[in-house]
Amino acid sequence: MDSLQLGTYTFSSRLILGTGKFSNSRIMLEAVKASGAQLVTVALRRFNREQAEDDLFGPLSALEGITLMPNTSGASTATEAIRAAHIARELSGSLFIKVEIHPNPQHLMPDPIETYEASRILAKEGFLVMPYIAADPVLAKRLEEVGCTSVMPLGSAIGSGQGLATSEMLNIIIRESGIPVIVDAGLRSPSEAAHAMEMGCEAVLVNSAVAAAGNPPEMAEAFAEAVAAGRKAFRAGLMHKSGSAVATSPLTSFLGTF
Amino acid sequence: MRALPEWLTDDRETAALATMLAPSSSSSLETLAAESRAMTLRRFGRTMTLYAPLYLSNYCSSGCAYCGFASDRKTPRHRLEADEIRLELAAMKKLGISDILLLTGERTAAADFDYLQQCVSLAAEEMQRVSIEAFPMSVGEYRTLADCGCTGITIYQETYNRERYEALHRWGPKKDFIDRLETPARALEGGIKSVGLGVLLGLSDPVEDALSLYRHVRHLGRTYWRAGMSVSFPRMRPQTGGYEPPFPVDDRLLARLIFAFRIALPDTELVLSTRESAAYRDGMAGLGITRMSIESRTTVGGYCESENEESKEKTDKGQFEIYDDRSAKEFCAALRSQNIEPVFKNWEPVYNGPSSSIKPEVESCL
Amino acid sequence: MSQMITIELNGQQQSLPPGSTVSDLLSIISSDGKSMAVVVNEHIIRPEKRSTQILQEGDRVELLIFAGGG
Repeated sequence: MDSLQLGTYTFSSRLILGTGKFSNSRIMLEAVKASGAQLVTVALRRFNREQAEDDLFGPLSALEGITLMPNTSGASTATEAIRAAHIARELSGSLFIKVEIHPNPQHLMPDPIETYEASRILAKEGFLVMPYIAADPVLAKRLEEVGCTSVMPLGSAIGSGQGLATSEMLNIIIRESGIPVIVDAGLRSPSEAAHAMEMGCEAVLVNSAVAAAGNPPEMAEAFAEAVAAGRKAFRAGLMHKSGSAVATSPLTSFLGTF
Repeated sequence: MRALPEWLTDDRETAALATMLAPSSSSSLETLAAESRAMTLRRFGRTMTLYAPLYLSNYCSSGCAYCGFASDRKTPRHRLEADEIRLELAAMKKLGISDILLLTGERTAAADFDYLQQCVSLAAEEMQRVSIEAFPMSVGEYRTLADCGCTGITIYQETYNRERYEALHRWGPKKDFIDRLETPARALEGGIKSVGLGVLLGLSDPVEDALSLYRHVRHLGRTYWRAGMSVSFPRMRPQTGGYEPPFPVDDRLLARLIFAFRIALPDTELVLSTRESAAYRDGMAGLGITRMSIESRTTVGGYCESENEESKEKTDKGQFEIYDDRSAKEFCAALRSQNIEPVFKNWEPVYNGPSSSIKPEVESCL
Repeated sequence: MSQMITIELNGQQQSLPPGSTVSDLLSIISSDGKSMAVVVNEHIIRPEKRSTQILQEGDRVELLIFAGGG
């Protein structure tokens, strides 16, 4: 069976869902259910007694077959991310940690240096580290070297819906990686998710595209189907894409007519 | 007998390459050439990196059925001493060469590691880049060479078909198929910055060998991701001893191999030596090949010949016959007429130390 | 009459009877603390230790939950 292997965990779904930006928890939970996602990412927030229904741990744990992947969004340094990881592990018992360190609140681009440092330390401590990074092939290999479970390069800026703007770099990362590559951030449509899977990604993470859709649960379902289709196509072996290069005069005439 | 590594037979990624190489392939040679040319232009521009080989010694302990220097051949044996090497290097520099490939046979008492190390040090004083094509060494030996200024090694598996390999390498240390296979990894582990791979076309089924070669490149690239990689396409030529290649590769198949490799490995240096004719080399320049040897002598030394009256090399046979024997000047003129810039030097020797791959320790405390 | 102590709870001042434990604090804010992480002065306080962990004047307490986020 073609399952996603992350550390010691095996998943049949290759769609990972983020839980932010939904209008309310109920819709979010419906979307998670509809998507068939088995790995769901959550953020750490201060408990606010006025907004008690913010707490997702209970409702998500009640859903069948869900593994939580806490993320460290909010952290701007490795120290903060590591602290958040310890707290998250304490709370969820999950070994997964998405190292997400974006100090600039405008573009939300991940800090490669803090991310590397946090990942290096957390991997040593036994976490299944899933670092969120720009589509940087060298950074991806360095994170692999320090023991990350996967790398999560962005397709485009969080929430921007610009799709696979980084596809050339993603291709390099996928080609060279020895660990699963999971595209995260910037996907807007299911076809983009299918494309990412066709390129060879092992999974995709989607949040805004589902949360901000007209009908989030339906959109979640569409993404699930697209991810499955893209993966199937990848496994079936896409035909070679011949270039559109055309020479004005024959290039191989020097070879004679053998 | 040690088992073949998994990566050697993993066919998950070779589908595209296999399709381009299949005899029944629908891709015409012209289509592949156009795509190969476009990719070469995009990635490498209009340049050709140039290097020259210097045979340090033709002593050899191995018995490769196809080689003019095999230990049972009657070829007169010679090795260059330090003063001779200095003269050769000076002669090569006069021709404009600054990227050199030092060659020896398999390890012998006459031309052993210490000898090779001294030669590398000498060459590193004069040349911008010093590569070697010698014998498989240990990680420690490669590190020593890297410290002495060796920046690359070339080591051809000859054929990735184990049965054919063992039949062809009749005696000597080269008989060990797996040891040879693991050599590039050991070199990279030892801090050598780049490796050149290849098969000797003609020895075995060329398409099968091409797929294995591709897997080798990809496998090394994943683990040694800082490494420079190049692929050569040495094609069997007539030589002393008269070995008839059982799987001759014609011009069109060689071209197809080169185009397919360029398309499948867009960033990899592809190398064509003076085994090929002037017309062939001129044709392939710009279509996929990005590195070529020039002014080659495949006899021991040989660059001083024109300067040295008492040359004894005139009666010596080289390892293989040169086909393109144009001078550097003529060859560069030919490149320029095609709007390709010959590049003799694209490196500063101050960077010639061992590769700085500092692998952090990875332990799990779980 | 015993003086109340003041701690910092999620960045805000909170008064507590002296000798209050973490469990007591959770009761005061009407939470059973089940799906909550408790951090006192950078130390994570596990559920089994909450009834014995006594809070001191000036302690910085963070109560954290999982909430929506990508």
